[in-house]
Amino acid sequence: MLRYFISVFFLFSFFLSQAQKDSLQIGSRDSTRFGQRYGLRIGVDLSKPIRALFDSDYSGLEFVADYRITNKLYIAAEFGNEKKTSFESLENIDDINRVELYNYTTSGSYVKLGVDFNTYENWYGMTNAIIFGARYAGSSFSQTLNNYTIYDSNRYWNPTTFAPGSGSSEEFSGLTATWLELLLGIKVELVANLYLGASVRLSYLFTNKEADFFPNLWIPGFSKVNDNSKFGVGYNYSISYFIPLYSKKENKKKNESPPEE
Amino acid sequence: MEKKRILLFVLIVIISIIACEKDDICVDGDTPLLIIRFYDSENPSELKAVPSLRVIGLGQSSTVNTIADRTSLDSISLPLRINEANTGFILISDSADEDDLETGNNDTLTFDYNTLEIFISRACGYIANYDDLGELLSSDSENWIQNIEIVSPLIQQQDSAHVKIFH
Repeated sequence: MLRYFISVFFLFSFFLSQAQKDSLQIGSRDSTRFGQRYGLRIGVDLSKPIRALFDSDYSGLEFVADYRITNKLYIAAEFGNEKKTSFESLENIDDINRVELYNYTTSGSYVKLGVDFNTYENWYGMTNAIIFGARYAGSSFSQTLNNYTIYDSNRYWNPTTFAPGSGSSEEFSGLTATWLELLLGIKVELVANLYLGASVRLSYLFTNKEADFFPNLWIPGFSKVNDNSKFGVGYNYSISYFIPLYSKKENKKKNESPPEE
Repeated sequence: MEKKRILLFVLIVIISIIACEKDDICVDGDTPLLIIRFYDSENPSELKAVPSLRVIGLGQSSTVNTIADRTSLDSISLPLRINEANTGFILISDSADEDDLETGNNDTLTFDYNTLEIFISRACGYIANYDDLGELLSSDSENWIQNIEIVSPLIQQQDSAHVKIFH
């Protein structure tokens, strides 16, 4: 739920920045040509280690990278590793009296490859970005069903608890999933060559190889899998460093095109 | 610029909808009960109610909670033990007390089966189904149960009888 609020506030922040840009760009555009810097940007997702600090059932690390190929287009990738222990309880009233139905640990790695399209027109010398992007992602992981009980609304034989399941700590390995992600993000240059980025992602699960006995309820890189929907949501907050490789003058035609307003 | 805002708005709407999820309340399934129907042993196609029927799980002190105690019934549903391979019941016909002693006719019936554990949904987790249902009637001097027929050895649904008892 918190993630959802953060996502929405984050999205609304675009409107603020867009509005400001409109009001300031009334004058004629600077037609000076300047070199656009091309290179590789690499970094890490900050949200995963921070989450791991506060949530002992979670650990994760994600590296992010993008490489600029044209004025607006970047090849982008993320790869990472996540491990999460989750449980499902019958009553979510409090932690002490909770009746746990099952408890499982998912662990695995993922890769996301795709493109970023920068829609933000920077002022002279600035290299910030508002990004629409797409990724094709894949994950290879395992799930361990730590323990589980058998749900039965009739309490004649087990008045206080549910009967325990016959197997426990069973590991289901060799699980895979692939999905498509659409993302909306920003990248802001904090100091020279150091960027802070954030993105929200909407994902659609394409393939999902799961064990017969226990379905994939959580997938590294994809997060929670919904019961009746192939959609998922994700986010990241990255800090990355830009390694400039070469400069290229911006296309002349582009510069001389008349202003929008 | 207008287009971008519309696109943003659409994305916000989509994410808002997707962020909603069903309450984690288990409504998707439950471990089924064993359904028994009573038939007339002289006229096997006719249902015949057992007068003042009382059912006690073997090893339990209370009567089963799925039927009204000491009523005349031709159809009952019984809970099976999930983590055991068999469940016994004492079925008492014409049940009544006299000086705190049971005067009805006790028959002990034991069912054996395999338990199948099945994942139903995120909210429910696992439920049990039963397979290879068998029965064993402990014989005594006068059994009121004449014959038992397993109709469905797989207990997955609750909409029809799994066992027919003739008396």
